[in-house]
Amino acid sequence: MTTTLKSVIPPSTHPFSDIIHRLEAGGSMLPDTPENLMQIIGIYKAYAVPMDFYWRDLLYIAERVFLNPIPAFKYFISKDYLDRPNSYAGDGADLRIWRGEADAHPELREFIDRGETGKMPKLWHHLWHDRVNMEFAEACMRAMLWHQGMGGQFYDYLESEEYIANADRAIKAYFKGNPLMLGLYKLFPTMFLEKVRELSYYANLGLFWEVMAPVFFEMSDLYDEGKMTTVPEAMEFLVNGIFAVAGRPIYHHLYIGDECYEIIPKSAGFTWLYEAALPYVEAVFYRTAPFRGTKSYNAQANQVPDEQKDFHYGILYADVFPVGSAGIPPTLLMQDMLHFLPPYLKEFYAKQYRGEDDELIQLGITFQRSMYNVTSAVIQALRAALLYPLDDQNPRHQMANRKFFEAQMDRFLRPEARLKSIQRQDYR
Amino acid sequence: MCNPKLQTLHSKTLYAYHVDIAVSNDSFSTLVAAVQAAGLVEALQSPGPFTVFAPTDDAFAKLPPGTVQTLVQNPPQLGRILKFHVLSGKYTQAELIKLGTVVSLEGSPIPIDGTEGFEVKNSTVLAADIEADNGMIHVIDNVILMG
Repeated sequence: MTTTLKSVIPPSTHPFSDIIHRLEAGGSMLPDTPENLMQIIGIYKAYAVPMDFYWRDLLYIAERVFLNPIPAFKYFISKDYLDRPNSYAGDGADLRIWRGEADAHPELREFIDRGETGKMPKLWHHLWHDRVNMEFAEACMRAMLWHQGMGGQFYDYLESEEYIANADRAIKAYFKGNPLMLGLYKLFPTMFLEKVRELSYYANLGLFWEVMAPVFFEMSDLYDEGKMTTVPEAMEFLVNGIFAVAGRPIYHHLYIGDECYEIIPKSAGFTWLYEAALPYVEAVFYRTAPFRGTKSYNAQANQVPDEQKDFHYGILYADVFPVGSAGIPPTLLMQDMLHFLPPYLKEFYAKQYRGEDDELIQLGITFQRSMYNVTSAVIQALRAALLYPLDDQNPRHQMANRKFFEAQMDRFLRPEARLKSIQRQDYR
Repeated sequence: MCNPKLQTLHSKTLYAYHVDIAVSNDSFSTLVAAVQAAGLVEALQSPGPFTVFAPTDDAFAKLPPGTVQTLVQNPPQLGRILKFHVLSGKYTQAELIKLGTVVSLEGSPIPIDGTEGFEVKNSTVLAADIEADNGMIHVIDNVILMG
């Protein structure tokens, strides 16, 4: 005899009960409509192209630029890193689930070459700011560095004697023959160490995004082929991806010439899921920090939370309109994504409200929708990993799942959260 | 609760015990392969004592495609997940239920529930209190994960 879910436990009385019931039925926080699917898949594709640059350059900075005191050319990625085969795409991949090529995406190469302005030397593109906005990637990295302590063991390891010894060896090797920098290191050892910790987060985020880029490309391809037809399918694809690479090592290596220095060795046992993905979602989707110059906060009026865990300035809470101001991280990303929108999404934006004039805002809200779907995938993956299958008929297990979903939704009860807004199609 | 077929098996070590089980009823071939891949054979052959929550092959098969492959490619990461299934000390079902929460060799806590039968985190124990020379084994129906 089969029993339906509703007959086993009473309905939720949570303010977001509709969404909780949807999650319990295997759905996403984002309603399943063809328009939502089109928007999120289009934006995943537009996100994957700059992400293909972000991960490569993050690893280039962590592994090669390292403590260069004047890193003026850190965004001038080397050919080796642009050609570096993605570990999770291409025929030589460690795990061949996603069909993309290992090489940098052709649209990315074309953009590096021509930008918005046209073909000219790289330095001119850089100075004209006609390039991929790596500052966005660095802002995400800094959010992870600053919040820290969000689960996993990465943060504790950065304070360990083993890490300090490894970093010391790397710093001394990097500045070998440079008495000025070695002298400064002797005078201010903890400052150098803190910079290396930051570089370890560059590596962490680079290794995280190296996986996400082929996942998003694959989703876009499946949609184009008519093989991904609903929002829950898109979410489930992400859930499976999260599990598939959960055990990927998170490490930090420094290369000086051909010599490799292991600052965080793979043998430390850090994993993609625990030390990168979950802290990333917490730091970037939920917490981050208020952007300078966008709004004044009165700490005495409790407008800034006392505890870092209560920070709520991530994309899930963002008011995308003021965020669209120049120079702040999400706008940098929106600008990056604007270059790689698939034609169907570009046409869609052109037909709404102010058409191309508010394309960045529309794109930002689409991105918000798409990240609610990614967050749904993370919530479902955690439920699957730590709790019970959705078709589990044991009422105690179902109630444990319910409590977990309700606790997750509690985070969106604060007025800044956009969960309510994304339920509506006219929120653009 | 205990599977009588499993109770008849004896060996000198937990690891060998797993091998015996694997050979006799083929239920633990993934776990045995994983322990080998992670290089934990020697550790599990030490005097211990240990308590091992041993997931069956069916438990590993429930994981989405690619999960086990990625872990097997990366022994330290696999070792960490496996250590989450091991406790230092020899604990019976009754002792574990009384404790409520235990700390794994990996360092993360494992909740134990005895409300209905014997549950270890989100897994159900299929066969409990299987004695080995250097510890105790409880067979579980899910791979358990930290968090």
